[in-house]
Amino acid sequence: MSGTANVNDLALRLGGGPSWAMVRTHFDIQSFGVNAYIAEEPGIRIIDEHDELGERAGGHEELYFVSNGHAKFTVNGDEIDAPAGTFVFVRDPAAKRTAIAEEAGTTIVIAGGKPGEAFSPSPWERNAEGLVHFANEDYEQAVETYERFLSERPGDASFLYNLACAESRLGRKDEALEHLRQCVETEERFKQNAVGDPDFEAIRDEPEFSAITGQAGSAGTSS
Amino acid sequence: MSEKAYEVVHLDELDRFPIDEEGLLWRPVRRRLGITAFGTNAYTAEEGTERVVEEHREQDGHEELYFVASGRATFVLGDDEIDAPAGTFIHAEPGTKRGAVATEPNTTVLAIGAKPGVPHEISAWEEIFVGFGHYRKGDEDKAREHLTAFVAANDDRWQGHYNLACLEALTENRDAAIAELRRAIELEPAAKEYAAKDEDFDWLRGDPEFPA
Repeated sequence: MSGTANVNDLALRLGGGPSWAMVRTHFDIQSFGVNAYIAEEPGIRIIDEHDELGERAGGHEELYFVSNGHAKFTVNGDEIDAPAGTFVFVRDPAAKRTAIAEEAGTTIVIAGGKPGEAFSPSPWERNAEGLVHFANEDYEQAVETYERFLSERPGDASFLYNLACAESRLGRKDEALEHLRQCVETEERFKQNAVGDPDFEAIRDEPEFSAITGQAGSAGTSS
Repeated sequence: MSEKAYEVVHLDELDRFPIDEEGLLWRPVRRRLGITAFGTNAYTAEEGTERVVEEHREQDGHEELYFVASGRATFVLGDDEIDAPAGTFIHAEPGTKRGAVATEPNTTVLAIGAKPGVPHEISAWEEIFVGFGHYRKGDEDKAREHLTAFVAANDDRWQGHYNLACLEALTENRDAAIAELRRAIELEPAAKEYAAKDEDFDWLRGDPEFPA
């Protein structure tokens, strides 16, 4: 459907990380990927460190456009100062990229696709359906959604992570710890996310949480 | 094209090609960065009254997403008129009429587009815009050189021949204009209909050999 929406109205606040505007899914765009992230405060990791390889990624080339505020990107170890109006185009799917917001309200619009292939959504984007329930604080529904996703893709680390987040929010400590453990055994990078994630307040003081996360790193993005 | 892992450019560093009489100023993003998976460009209105999206329907099946990066614009989307401040996304399906005019100085609109279900193919109009951008900036030789090179590399694409014919007509090169328009019509018969209404050919319209 043709239509309009403001980026701030689409943005879902997700714990301590950036807000995520699920632009592609909102408009049901079928020919390229597009999302936006907004950091309410400076210091927030507005783009999680990632590459476009692996099962959950789309193998996309990605264009990042800083439409508001100021960000500092790091791509393959190179630091890039990116005030509003900057385009950062990451051609190589293997390139590690991340960005930290340097101003409140920093907004980054991202478009992506795989050269030479018809667009298909990246598997990670499936999380969008579940994250809506986090934004609405409907954690029971989030658990149900991620359990369903896991029945379709058993062992998916991002689904396990978000399931653990929802279970922690519901005070289901044992389940949350077990799913977080399974998650970081699959993808170690989620340790860093978990350390600063407010979704894990209920289990943060548990000795098993420290054992799982190794007490590593600084605040990461949520859910 | 460089095969660096990444490229960085600021909006202020992008080329500026004037496209039409309503002040449409094209800022090529895809072309500058070497993006191949989708199309993307920016349009800037410095004074705040210029057109920032040409009024059109997508003929080649592209769905398009516009993002008002700064300033403000009034969009037409189908039968609706939409006030679009910075931060607004406008999604247009291929058959939907769309267009926009800036209502604030320094308005920039980013456009992203591709055709669902097929690998992205770079649109012919990008190079045609570059050619006509040179012409509107007063550099007729560069415009001809650019469009001629495009036609030489894309002899089977009617759009190149048609637009080179427009340039030759505008610069009163009768024989070249007629030859290019004939080739365009041979490749796409509808080009005859387009030429019949196209002001670029006014100078040639009375010529007995004018093919439209």
